[in-house]
Amino acid sequence: MSDQTDDNATAGSTSLNTAATVAGGTGEPIITVQGVDKFFGDFQALKNIDLVVGKQEVLVVIGPSGSGKSTLIRCVNHLEEHTNGTIIVDGVELTKDIRNIQEIRRECGMVFQSFNLFPHMTVLDNITLGPRRVRKKPKAEAEQAAMELLEMVKIPEQAKKFPGQLSGGQQQRVAIARALAMEPKVMLFDEPTSALDPEMVKEVLDAMQDLAESGMTMIVVTHEMGFARAVADRVAFMASGEIVEVGTPEHFFTNPQEERTKLFLSQIL
Amino acid sequence: MAQDGQTPPGLYGGGGHMHTPIAADAPPRRGAGTGVRGVLRDNLFKDTKNSILTVLFGAVILFVLIKTFNYVFITARWEVIYNGPLEFYMVGKDFRRTGISYEMLWAGIYTAVLAMGIGTGLGYNEESPPMRLGARLAMIGGPLVGIVFILSMTRTITPTLLTAGAGGVLWVGGQLGRRMPPVVRRRSGWILLALTFLAFGLITNFTPSNIDEFGGLLLTIVVAFAGVSLSFPVGVIMALARRSTFPLIRPLAVGYIELIRGVPLISLLFMGQFAIRFLFPPDANIPGPIFRAIIMITLFSGAYVAEVVRGGLQSVPAGQIEAGKALGLSPFTITRQIVLPQALRNSIPALIGQFISLLKDVSLLVIIGLQELLGIVDVVLARPEFVNQGYVPEAYAFVGTIYWTLCFSMSRAAQRLETRLGVGTR
Repeated sequence: MSDQTDDNATAGSTSLNTAATVAGGTGEPIITVQGVDKFFGDFQALKNIDLVVGKQEVLVVIGPSGSGKSTLIRCVNHLEEHTNGTIIVDGVELTKDIRNIQEIRRECGMVFQSFNLFPHMTVLDNITLGPRRVRKKPKAEAEQAAMELLEMVKIPEQAKKFPGQLSGGQQQRVAIARALAMEPKVMLFDEPTSALDPEMVKEVLDAMQDLAESGMTMIVVTHEMGFARAVADRVAFMASGEIVEVGTPEHFFTNPQEERTKLFLSQIL
Repeated sequence: MAQDGQTPPGLYGGGGHMHTPIAADAPPRRGAGTGVRGVLRDNLFKDTKNSILTVLFGAVILFVLIKTFNYVFITARWEVIYNGPLEFYMVGKDFRRTGISYEMLWAGIYTAVLAMGIGTGLGYNEESPPMRLGARLAMIGGPLVGIVFILSMTRTITPTLLTAGAGGVLWVGGQLGRRMPPVVRRRSGWILLALTFLAFGLITNFTPSNIDEFGGLLLTIVVAFAGVSLSFPVGVIMALARRSTFPLIRPLAVGYIELIRGVPLISLLFMGQFAIRFLFPPDANIPGPIFRAIIMITLFSGAYVAEVVRGGLQSVPAGQIEAGKALGLSPFTITRQIVLPQALRNSIPALIGQFISLLKDVSLLVIIGLQELLGIVDVVLARPEFVNQGYVPEAYAFVGTIYWTLCFSMSRAAQRLETRLGVGTR
């Protein structure tokens, strides 16, 4: 795809590769990734990544393990620092300045593979911590908003419990509610169902689908092909640190262009 | 004896009902036999090997018990404790010079006990599992034996009444702590701090330099308490500094920790007592010897606390910090709200070990000539009525009992705290 990277003028092109730099959703870009490299020591995890995500778009990123999917979304909210290139979130360019980083993190909710709920706080405190400390919301207001979010993910009765008392699926739904409580403009999902028992995957995917239907912009790294097919606006395939192919789910799953994509799909489907 | 004699059943007799065919009803908990005879037979004299062990252990335990009983109640000459010097053991030989009345001292003790009670009450958690009866008995019984032993050396009823009163104050404090309304609870740290300062003020008659005249148990407790409560924040700050990414902070913390851990406490105490003087002009107003000892013990213990807390910090998964970052929390909030609560909870067992060892380290003050609980023994034994008359075992047995009572209480209180905070469970 590198031969296409400078060619933003061909935005209207039907080439699937160019689609990476064309915002989906409403067409108005909210995340712009340009020429991003990421090195871990000598190992290059991301190679010259270009990607534009539009408002209200759901972008699903798939690919074999070690392909750089997680690294990519972790660079977006600066959990990893990208080595070269620019990342712009909602018009703010990501720099090394901590205030700038925190501004972007406020706009990006993140859901982790291993939930990462705070085990020493109740579910309610987990959700209200961010709004109260960062958004400076009064306690009552934050708790009311938290209860509404818990209603949304269908576990309001667990508010006073501790994370350790919940099932994996319930914990992950709390994690989604916690991220949403910050009223982010973008939600990043880093393999949200990979650590779950099979029977709990659906409840989490349902919550994510509800969220997508409400118009939230989402980048989802996942191995759930059913989810990608049903919910994604675009699917991106990554391998060895590169975005190999981007396309609508129909195109992507029925008519992949690249050999590596075909090989990967033949292995998992 | 009966309790000790039952130790073998855990090893051998515990299998009692394994040999019993499983009946439809719940099998008897231990041993199939009924009545005292049955229980004895099944648990202590099950087979030849079992019986030999029972007899052997029984004989050893009986021998130790008889010897101890004989010593404590018949041969020991406790007059080295009760016939005058008890006051020395408790508050030191120069306490009267301070002019602090015993009423004032007891008022201070009551305030401190109240603060302790409130503190434990605050930690009360209805959801935590209740203590087992054995643990409860040990927690109350152990210290009680020590306290009764000490009180038996007094020749008036007043100290006993006052001690019982302190027990009552502890209970009242516990109830206050449990029932504290949330508004007050949020500020409970300040209340405890204020009570602690008030207690210290009352005990020293609001003249801190008075503690230079303290001795005996009072000195040990004051120094140990000051050491614990000062070295804890020092240790936490140093542990955080050691993980800091700022340029100069980390090397400074590492330097402090490794320097202090590389020298014995005694050398630090000597430094504090004798070498510090040379760093100041001769007429400089430097703190008294006990304050210098407290500073040195704090520095010493702080380095160890720092390493314990660092271990706790490392036990917090990286994902916790990432989750905090992803919410846009500031580094300070992440440390204060997410990392430290989990790290400190995981550090409790090792921290208590450190603090118990600090309490016993206070006995090293004897080497720089301060008469804390251990040092006061020499003072008492040098009195003409006791000198060179073989009173050494009694005096040290008494002091040892006090140390044991203090350390055991700390260890039990810590165990209770662990259960309540659910250490080891998530």
